Amino acid sequence: MGVEGAYPLLIALWLLPMASAIALWAFGPQLRTAAGPIGAGIVGVCFALALFSWPDAVQRAHGALGAHLTLFSWGSGFDFGLLWDPLSLTWTLIITGVGFLIITYAIGYMEGDGAYARFFAYMTFFIFAMLTLVLSDNFVGLLVGWGGVGLASFFLIGFYIDRKTAVAAARKAFVINVVGDVGLMFAILVIVTQVGSTTYAETFARLGQFSNTALVLACVGIFIGCAAKSAQVPLHSWLPDAMEGPTPVSALIHAATMVTAGVYLIARCWPMWNASPDARDLAGSIGGLTALMGAILGCAQWDIKRILAYSTMSQIGYMVMGVGVGAYDAGVLHFLTHAFFKAQLFLGAGLVIHALANEQDVRKMGGLRTKMPFAFWAMLVGVLAICGIPPFSGFFSKDAVIYGALEHGHPYLYAIGVLTAAITAYYMFRLILVTFFGTYRGEVDPSDLGIRHPELAGMPPHAAPQAHHSHQPGPIMNVPVAILMIPTTAFGWLAIGPDSPWERFFGQLFAGGTHVEKVPASIGEGLSTLIVLALVLVGIGLAYLRYGTSAAREHAVERLRTESVHMPPVLANAFYFDAAIDALFVRPAQALGRFMGRVVDPIVIDGAVREAAIVAVSLGNRFRMLQGGLVRGYALTIVVGVICVIAYYAVMGAGR
Amino acid sequence: MSETSLPVALINYIGLSAVLFFIGVAGVIVRRNPLIMLMSIELMWNAANLLFLAFARVWVNNAGHIFAFLVITVAAAEAAIGLAIVVVAFRRAKYVDVDEAALMKG
Repeated sequence: MGVEGAYPLLIALWLLPMASAIALWAFGPQLRTAAGPIGAGIVGVCFALALFSWPDAVQRAHGALGAHLTLFSWGSGFDFGLLWDPLSLTWTLIITGVGFLIITYAIGYMEGDGAYARFFAYMTFFIFAMLTLVLSDNFVGLLVGWGGVGLASFFLIGFYIDRKTAVAAARKAFVINVVGDVGLMFAILVIVTQVGSTTYAETFARLGQFSNTALVLACVGIFIGCAAKSAQVPLHSWLPDAMEGPTPVSALIHAATMVTAGVYLIARCWPMWNASPDARDLAGSIGGLTALMGAILGCAQWDIKRILAYSTMSQIGYMVMGVGVGAYDAGVLHFLTHAFFKAQLFLGAGLVIHALANEQDVRKMGGLRTKMPFAFWAMLVGVLAICGIPPFSGFFSKDAVIYGALEHGHPYLYAIGVLTAAITAYYMFRLILVTFFGTYRGEVDPSDLGIRHPELAGMPPHAAPQAHHSHQPGPIMNVPVAILMIPTTAFGWLAIGPDSPWERFFGQLFAGGTHVEKVPASIGEGLSTLIVLALVLVGIGLAYLRYGTSAAREHAVERLRTESVHMPPVLANAFYFDAAIDALFVRPAQALGRFMGRVVDPIVIDGAVREAAIVAVSLGNRFRMLQGGLVRGYALTIVVGVICVIAYYAVMGAGR
Repeated sequence: MSETSLPVALINYIGLSAVLFFIGVAGVIVRRNPLIMLMSIELMWNAANLLFLAFARVWVNNAGHIFAFLVITVAAAEAAIGLAIVVVAFRRAKYVDVDEAALMKG
């Protein structure tokens, strides 16, 4: 296919954010406060371009893979091009659309920050990397974007470079992501050995050439990449720590877009997963486990952003479970709705954090409903959506994922999904009740609330100087949140019914995947929905009994203190994953480093250098005997030499 | 190449030359007075010259004569430089024994 129609727009859409990132980075000091609007504007233009190219994509998308445009070739069989199909279109719209809203919000949130332009340069760089990831028509381009978003994430988590915890979190995120990159790279190498090409089209067309082992290896490699990027157990522990970044970063990268790259990858490679049931079982189980674990840990957090981080982990677990069991369209639908409601939740939390001068500990909040009604309603809509209360969007997608597990013959995953939905309702309403109801506890002594180390528990050290810099958010922050409320509420309506717009959009794409290997479910979809809803209501009820009743509100301080002090250590330590990783990898690596530093470097490396010097010195000492300084000695040497030469010719014969 | 006879047999010239040369060598190696060493070197030059002339006569080849002149010239230059060095060294360090001039000892 030649370059025609919407293709130039597509290239512009892809490259504009990079141009913007370079410009903001290079001219940041000159642009000052203009940097934010420029960054947001560029991403807004990209969103407009994506919308404009939409009909074209739908029109061209015949068969499993949509239209694609080869840009250049870097070797026989290795082309680099852009792919424009419903899947990449969905992600592009979310990346640029939600990205635009969040970056606009950040104009207000980051106001007065010393590195204002740098922030927007990183954000637009992230958009570029993410677009590379989803628009690439081959695995190598995907890997480039994959690494790029990891890098952007590293920059943005460690954005407050004067905070030790932020720098450590950035490093942790980067290292864990690289583990995933290595897995993905391994998968790509396997694919190259099997089909001799890296494009999706070639790979999926020649799946028959894969040996069984190679297919499982490739799928597992891809899944390791997904697990690291999408915070699946056991590579999840970077995500809660990533909340050290500014709140808009958490909303854009660590909730709405980057962490769903793994879901994208599985959905993109669905023919491979279809062909490999073992790998699919692995992905489904890990997804279910992550969903459950994230939800349980969400109940034990006090930092408003960490609660949301664990809920993100849990929801991505749902998505991976969905695409893992083969319900690809359900997983992708949950990605879409999650992008909206999670961005909304984070931006709502950002409003609270901004107004309370960077206070993030929910124990020090309370009663904010009357002080910040807008933030309350925004958060409430998000919470209702994530809990799956109809008619909010999360209801439709979560229900589709949970029922999809049953439909594709995984009753255990179905049970986990239902249970997780109940726990999700519990901890999200806990968040709402503790934060927005009762009385304001900001003036209560932290130790009365069970906060042992204010610095570690909630208040970030960098916030201290601006502690009195508390102000209500302006319209630049409120309007994006208000706009996000619309899709959060209504987006799920697209998926109602058997011939919904959603079905028509994605039905073709996953044609091979969605209609095979369904098993007759033991309960109907309607009954299943009722069960899920009933359990969700039980979760909400439990949260209300614990935090919402008038007795609970009156004794909120004592209750929170008791709960903080008596938090089971297994929850407070997040199932000891950090400790395990520390003991299994970090400590051995540090020990190896120390061993290298104390033994190998001084003895082997320095030893070799020193030994070479010693040899040179001793040789020199031998040879310096010749330099006796005695003129007569030299003369004797010459004579002896001459005699030797003459003797040589006398014996051997001159000239022969 | 034609040969002419010499008043004395060629072997005697060669023997004398060798004796002179080794006296010179021994002088350079054994004696420590720089002046004597220079004289010994002259002795070696002249041993070489003697051979040049003897063979030039025997083989009727003037190259040997020319080389002898060349050697005399070079020897004169060498003696001039050598004496100059000896004088300068003597003025600076007051030694007459070359073994004391061991500044470059390794």
